[in-house]
Amino acid sequence: MINQLNIIVLLKQVPDIEKVKFDFKTGRIDRSSAEAVINPFDLNALEAAVEIKEKVGARITAISMGPKTAEASLRDAIARGADNAILLTDKRFAGADTLATSYTLACAIRKVGSYDLVICGEKTIDGDTAQVGPEVAEFLGVPHVAYVEEIREVKRDRILVKSKMGRNYYIIELKFPGLITVTKDVNTPRLPSLKDKIRSRKAEITVWNADSFSDLADERYFGAAGSPTTVAKVYVPKAERRKGKIFRGDLERAAKEIATVLREAHVIR
Amino acid sequence: MRISIKEVTEGLKSIVGEEWVITERESMEGYLRDETPDAIRPKAAENLVLVKPSSTREVSEILRYANEMLVPVFPVGGRTGLVGGCVPIEDGIILSLERMNKIEVDVENLMAVAEAGATLGDLIKAADEAGLFFPLHPGDEGAQIGGLIATNAGGVRAVKYGVMRNYVKGVEIILPTGEILNLGGMLIKNNMGYDLMHLIIGSEGTLCVVTKAILKLYPRSRYSVTLILPFNKREDAIRAVPEILRSGVTPLAIEYVGLKELNAAANHLGEEWPVQSGDAQLLIILSGSSEDEVYSACERISEVAEKNNAGEALIAETHDEQERILKVRSNIYTALKRDMVDILDATVPMSRLLDLMIKIDELSKRYGAYLPVYGHAGDGNLHVHVMKENGEVPSYADDLKGEIYEATVSLGGVITGEHGVGRLRIKEFHRFLSEKERNLMREIKRVFDPNNILNPGKIFP
Repeated sequence: MINQLNIIVLLKQVPDIEKVKFDFKTGRIDRSSAEAVINPFDLNALEAAVEIKEKVGARITAISMGPKTAEASLRDAIARGADNAILLTDKRFAGADTLATSYTLACAIRKVGSYDLVICGEKTIDGDTAQVGPEVAEFLGVPHVAYVEEIREVKRDRILVKSKMGRNYYIIELKFPGLITVTKDVNTPRLPSLKDKIRSRKAEITVWNADSFSDLADERYFGAAGSPTTVAKVYVPKAERRKGKIFRGDLERAAKEIATVLREAHVIR
Repeated sequence: MRISIKEVTEGLKSIVGEEWVITERESMEGYLRDETPDAIRPKAAENLVLVKPSSTREVSEILRYANEMLVPVFPVGGRTGLVGGCVPIEDGIILSLERMNKIEVDVENLMAVAEAGATLGDLIKAADEAGLFFPLHPGDEGAQIGGLIATNAGGVRAVKYGVMRNYVKGVEIILPTGEILNLGGMLIKNNMGYDLMHLIIGSEGTLCVVTKAILKLYPRSRYSVTLILPFNKREDAIRAVPEILRSGVTPLAIEYVGLKELNAAANHLGEEWPVQSGDAQLLIILSGSSEDEVYSACERISEVAEKNNAGEALIAETHDEQERILKVRSNIYTALKRDMVDILDATVPMSRLLDLMIKIDELSKRYGAYLPVYGHAGDGNLHVHVMKENGEVPSYADDLKGEIYEATVSLGGVITGEHGVGRLRIKEFHRFLSEKERNLMREIKRVFDPNNILNPGKIFP
């Protein structure tokens, strides 16, 4: 048994993608149309932390930035194995792009103090950028490995991971402190126990606002003010529906017609 | 039949148009069977024609024509039944209403008007889009409204909302004479004489053809969770069920399933079942209008579970996690189907469920047979499977089934709680129902369908 590691897991609350409605006119997600859940990739990140905790011992801190309602996701994280949870919520954080989000999260991690490993999901299902993890590492000035799909070994001061980048695999040893982002292949998140879930409803969630780490941060880099990204246009591709056509009449002619259609659709040459 | 199937084909073409009358065997293959295991599924007849009308008027004309020519008509829905109920066992017409699949949701009245050919999946989606909920879930969402009504379908969510009968508020039906009747309506109260509508529900296509229905919808529950409760002893699991219901919690579903069968189903889907301790497991679906309401129910269930020696219970909260659990549960049948002879749906008063299971254990030992058992513990409905041995139907299969039925009836139960009589249960139906009741049913059949053209050979021999 090695000394307990300090692991920080970054979580985002997202709408349940199976239920959420999309406004095709504005290109916006109607967040009120579905219940909010932990971003599925972040569940893999949390599960990875819990597996490390089970193997070598660790204290897991879950951090999320979002509205007050994101507390529910942090409670869920506690039910699933996090030891404590911090919610970053403040109007000044709102409207953040990935840069401002990463900056805020990095400040919060600094505020937590000592940590060995930060684990994030590879991306969120509502933003899909995969930028926040690596950007947080840059702000913290620590090394990172993205797209980790296997954790091979954990030691007191380092971790050995397999990362998939495009067509290639990399086996990388990362010295602590460091950050990894994990894919959905890294594990299968477990269901929480009913008892833990009931208990987590009463768990205390630490809430921080912009003033909580004013000593470590420059407020100008928070939220919309700190976000250089602007959305110029949202384009929603039309979903192609399956089409059916019945070819009738002379068998040979029908066969030729089918061949032509398939050729035009580039199914055959 | 007064005329040849060729002539029937021509007659049908003049009603619905050439395109919707199918005579090639290979094009109607899927309409010759239902989901009954191969070993016992009745064989389809040789001379058949498949017709797909698009309107009530066309259905009416088809029936009038068939009645005049004395041609048997086999109405089919999604063909998901398990007792050969829709298999066309005599030469005649297969009637599929799949083109009649419109659904209109009446939000004000919390009801939907659905054509008989709409699928359960379509209805669930339409209700959801209107912010409402159609809870019935017999397993296969390809089932059609007409079939759900004809068979009075049940399924896992009957504990809270009941079976199909509890949803149907009105039906449009066509009699064999071609006459169109509208029974019931968007009414909660209706006492106009004998309730013909409820006579039609569960009549298995033998009295009339249902073309449209008014169905009750519910407000979408804002919050739901699925629990998995593992028990080492089956008695503990079964004993916990009435205790949960007595505690004031009414779950959407309470399912009893063995770990072995759950693993078989998960394996069949390429998944892993999340709870590997506890041979006997209860799956409980809870829904409510708020998180607090659902969690207070969870707490009560947790207490009952603990009192009854349950192991560590797990909870699924996200849509995705809950769907995965329900999918495994719904696929036990598909996983076992290949090696299955028959799936029974014996139903006893909830308090006698354990007695029935003990009896089935005895039979399993005496016959040396693997009898997978699972079912809707919240409503006393148990699915016992008779399995093949070395790929063959064992010689004792009928005797064994007979004994299971006898045990069920002696415990105050019925041989079928969900699947109906269809073709397969005719013998037992006549064995376990009094002559007087059977005669009354026969008379009713004669009044509706004097020429016996509608789904002949079902319910009655």
